[in-house]
Amino acid sequence: MIHALRAGAYGIPFMPVGGMWGSDLVGIRPEFYQIMKSPFDGAEVVCVKALAPDYAIVHVQEADIYGNCRILGPSYQDALMARAAKKTIVTAERIVGSYRMQEEPKLTAIPHFLVQAVVELPGGAKPGICYPEYQGVEWDKHKAYQKAVKADEVQKFADMMLEGRL
Amino acid sequence: MEYGKPEMMAAAIIRQIEDGDIVFHGLASSTPMVAMKAAKAMGKEFTYLTLSDGVDHDWTRAPYVASTLTENTYTGSVATFGLDEIFDLYCSGKGDIAFLSCLQMDKEGRIAMSYLGGDYERPKLRGPGGAGSATLPPVTKKTTIWKTTHDKKTFIEHVDFATTSPPLDKEMTVITPLCIFKKPVGEKYLKVAYIFPFTTLEEVKENTGWEIDQMEVPVMNPPTEEELTALKKVDPNNILHFEFK
Repeated sequence: MIHALRAGAYGIPFMPVGGMWGSDLVGIRPEFYQIMKSPFDGAEVVCVKALAPDYAIVHVQEADIYGNCRILGPSYQDALMARAAKKTIVTAERIVGSYRMQEEPKLTAIPHFLVQAVVELPGGAKPGICYPEYQGVEWDKHKAYQKAVKADEVQKFADMMLEGRL
Repeated sequence: MEYGKPEMMAAAIIRQIEDGDIVFHGLASSTPMVAMKAAKAMGKEFTYLTLSDGVDHDWTRAPYVASTLTENTYTGSVATFGLDEIFDLYCSGKGDIAFLSCLQMDKEGRIAMSYLGGDYERPKLRGPGGAGSATLPPVTKKTTIWKTTHDKKTFIEHVDFATTSPPLDKEMTVITPLCIFKKPVGEKYLKVAYIFPFTTLEEVKENTGWEIDQMEVPVMNPPTEEELTALKKVDPNNILHFEFK
């Protein structure tokens, strides 16, 4: 998946990946995995098809109104997703002045030109974790969410959560 | 000091790690998390990588839930190194150990992590699948699988859909509550390398879904005082026992 997103971000149709040998996943998904020979030395490599999602939705600790984002905890593959996606929606714990980014430009994980929308949404990663803002999973709400998914009631769950009725 | 299966498995995990190793565990990996923190407490000098992005986090921060994605695997890190970078590192041959688990395993060390029952499209149980499981074993020097149950439903003759298979040119180690299996370099099948002090080879055979024709295997030394003390020190909330409940 990471390599598929990379291919999407690089604007190339597919990408060789390391590892993967001996996995039945390669055979069962020919529309996603193929084995090719290196044009340089004939070595066989597993390749994955590029993935360019329509949207990436990324929750960050700080964003400015232009979409410059600072990720102050683990960043996982959020920046890669923003580069691979056609459009990126950012939700942020807080909106900060752009001076924050100007102080330390290297801490801007996603630059504004990759971002189409910024939403101020404190607590937006709940019931999960957003380090260091809130560091524990709210298990009762997480279980309620799992229940809602199984019952096909995600909309109702989302409404209740947004209205603070959970 | 008293010990049980969790402490024995944790000690076996600690003993897998050598000074200088680069070591990774993934999500939902409370057993190797506690064991690796204990290995740090014992002064082993290895690099601790995990999915939280943190490199060599402050191991004195005790786990308080079984999740391995909480601040206790991030706070105090000396660098961040994301999962994409970890995969690259291992694919380029620089990773020593990846601690992974499985839903099922067969005698060739082939691992089911994608689904159980039914087929790929309509499984009875969808597993966490093949990020680390599919990527890492072919490229990791000492892939180590831990599994906290040892029975005939878990260790079976043949896995229908292998999320990964161990490569011929690398060793693989499997740590269970009863024993340690190893697939040596250049060999195809798992062998019992050690049994734990509280079991017998007979019990291992009775709980394994393939035929084990070995007559005698060494018994692993029980956890040392030092190992047990380190486990207690890093894990006051007893998260090590979570997977054994």
